[in-house]
Amino acid sequence: MSDHTQANHTADHAPGPQPGATDVARALLRAEGIGISFGGLKAVQGLSLAVPPGGLDGLIGPNGAGKTTAFNLLTGVYRAQTGSITLDGRRIDGLRPHQIAKAGMARTFQNIRLFGNLSVLDNVRLGAHVRGRHTLVGTLFRTPAYIAQERAILARARQLLGVFNLLSRADEPAKSLPYGDQRRLEIARALATEPKLLLLDEPAAGMNPQEKRDLARTIQRLRREFGVGVLLIEHDMGLVMDICERITVLDHGEVICHGVPAHVQNDPKVIEAYLGEPG
Amino acid sequence: MSAIHELTQKNRPGVGLTVAHTAALVGLVLGTGAVMQWVVGPAAGIYPATILRQIGIVAIAAVSLNIVNGYTGQFSIGHAGFVAIGAYAGGAVSFYANSLGWVGAYDPAGLLTPGHAVMLAGAAIGAGAAGAAGYMVGLPSLRLRGDYLAIVTLGFGEIVRVLFQQTQSQVFDPQAARALPISGWWPPPLGGAQGFSSVIPYGELFWIYAALALTVVWCYRLKFSSSGRAFLSIREDEIAARAMGVNLTRYKVRAFVLAAALAGLGGAFYAHLNLAVQPKDAGFQKSFELIIIVVLGGLGSISGVLLAAFGLGGLTEWLRQPTSVWPAALVALALVGVVQAVRRDIDSRARGRAMGRALLVIGVLTGLFEGLRAFAAWQGFKLDDIRIVLYALALISVMLLRPQGLLGTSELWLVPGQLMRRKAKAAAAPSLRTAGPADPAAAPATGVGGMGGGVTEAGGDEGWP
Repeated sequence: MSDHTQANHTADHAPGPQPGATDVARALLRAEGIGISFGGLKAVQGLSLAVPPGGLDGLIGPNGAGKTTAFNLLTGVYRAQTGSITLDGRRIDGLRPHQIAKAGMARTFQNIRLFGNLSVLDNVRLGAHVRGRHTLVGTLFRTPAYIAQERAILARARQLLGVFNLLSRADEPAKSLPYGDQRRLEIARALATEPKLLLLDEPAAGMNPQEKRDLARTIQRLRREFGVGVLLIEHDMGLVMDICERITVLDHGEVICHGVPAHVQNDPKVIEAYLGEPG
Repeated sequence: MSAIHELTQKNRPGVGLTVAHTAALVGLVLGTGAVMQWVVGPAAGIYPATILRQIGIVAIAAVSLNIVNGYTGQFSIGHAGFVAIGAYAGGAVSFYANSLGWVGAYDPAGLLTPGHAVMLAGAAIGAGAAGAAGYMVGLPSLRLRGDYLAIVTLGFGEIVRVLFQQTQSQVFDPQAARALPISGWWPPPLGGAQGFSSVIPYGELFWIYAALALTVVWCYRLKFSSSGRAFLSIREDEIAARAMGVNLTRYKVRAFVLAAALAGLGGAFYAHLNLAVQPKDAGFQKSFELIIIVVLGGLGSISGVLLAAFGLGGLTEWLRQPTSVWPAALVALALVGVVQAVRRDIDSRARGRAMGRALLVIGVLTGLFEGLRAFAAWQGFKLDDIRIVLYALALISVMLLRPQGLLGTSELWLVPGQLMRRKAKAAAAPSLRTAGPADPAAAPATGVGGMGGGVTEAGGDEGWP
């Protein structure tokens, strides 16, 4: 399980919000002490994260721990009330979701959110939308710049569909795909935005063991071939322990443990959070 | 630099393609106008040609409303307000240009007189004014969804109506118009509650159908472009759209401005056809007529909305003097038969059931209508008197039989392709029922493997798990 252990991360035992909780020299994503409350409920507080460029990190925790809320904070769906977030050295807290997508963060959703009535191809083409300039004049009069850009988007989308083996279904509505293909299409769509960091929200939910193994390989190939960093939320401990380099554990909105899989696995606080107090 | 940017820079075409597209646009616009003016119009006769002109204007308004309600999925019910703004602006420009003596006398034979040039300028001004109003409605729409947005747009239409009621009375006398000081033009003399009348009849078939062709081509280009996909993505799932980098603010406002501007264009022609504009033309009844067409045709479908506009327009006219529907019923049955016969995605039993259903529906509708006609003849009343009831019944039956609208979100020219694809799929997987739900159709044959099918990698770098 611990074959991804890296020496420079083992020193880090202290949980909690102090800056630089992970000793990564230049983090791709760095969140420091972010938090949000809904009324009296502190959904997430003092969350600090650091994902290195091309890193593959996990965010785990029991149900209701605030994992998806943390994703929503990172992607700008909610505005963080405390703390700061930087992506590739640029402050992104306070930006709106589409600006964060443009800055280089893409995500998938826990309950798949494809554009169901649009074709598989159009879903991916929409992902590439954010990298283009779309003027009304260009669209209505089909200027050379517009034509070139539409061609580029089409070529890029077809290439991505080829990579994910979805090309043969490019013209079908996304909602007609089988579940596993929909999950992969969501990843393809996110990659079309040319992200630096990809957030995957429970990518293995509802998959059988074989599909999960395939997913693990997919994620590892993603980093290799697209050079993206990955931060994933996952309930399947086997998968998380297998592929993640660092894991952050949330419980009741707070970080209770952070470190390499081997460390997290044996932390009494994590075991307590998942199984309840001993005795 | 992004991959898209690099690809764009690398494959930049010359202006030739743009010139060709623009030539096609101009050709289609002028060609449609010419065919309607010199072929269809004379063949149809004077009264049907007037009906065609009215339908053309309604079609412009409905196709433009489709951008907001269909593509973007925002439920606007104030579209008539934009039409009215364009109508007042276009009508006033050409009326006062005429009475101030800028354009010379009206020439009923000409198609491109100075008056027409001013009319076209007025149409552009009307489109601009409506577009500006669309911007103002688009902004609050960002924070509102569903019913709440509908109420705001409804309110907008009513505000427009009341504002036009508050304008000054129209200056009919050219001498008085020329003598009017600058301050006399504010508030604008648009006729107040009486409405603006005596507009010069520049609304020929040619111009109306040229404008319709322009609207349709632009809506088509929009729908199948990156901007169009952004509109559609907002309709499908706003949260996913913004997470993928779609600027919701920009695209919602863009949809409203564009739809309003095209509606204003249609409105300007409405003024020149109807020769009068009333404040109530901005009211919600007119808006609802447009919404009915859009919903009936299929939200998001250009050809569906065109079909619905012409179908409903034709239906209301035909119901004035209904003829026997047996021939039409037979044609409809034959069409259904042909479509069912070429479908290969269903077996013969399913085909039989589909044919039986079609026969039943068409037969019952035809029988009911013929019975009604016979009853009316026996009782000696005219079907014309219950025209609106029949119209409503027709709407209800279409919505019951096809709740997604005539064409759904698809387009007429895409339907054959969709049927072909279903055929190909059926050929690749002869029996879809035996394949498990998680098993994509014919995984090994088509190379669709991976997570969905649980098939191991095809080998090489070909496919991902």
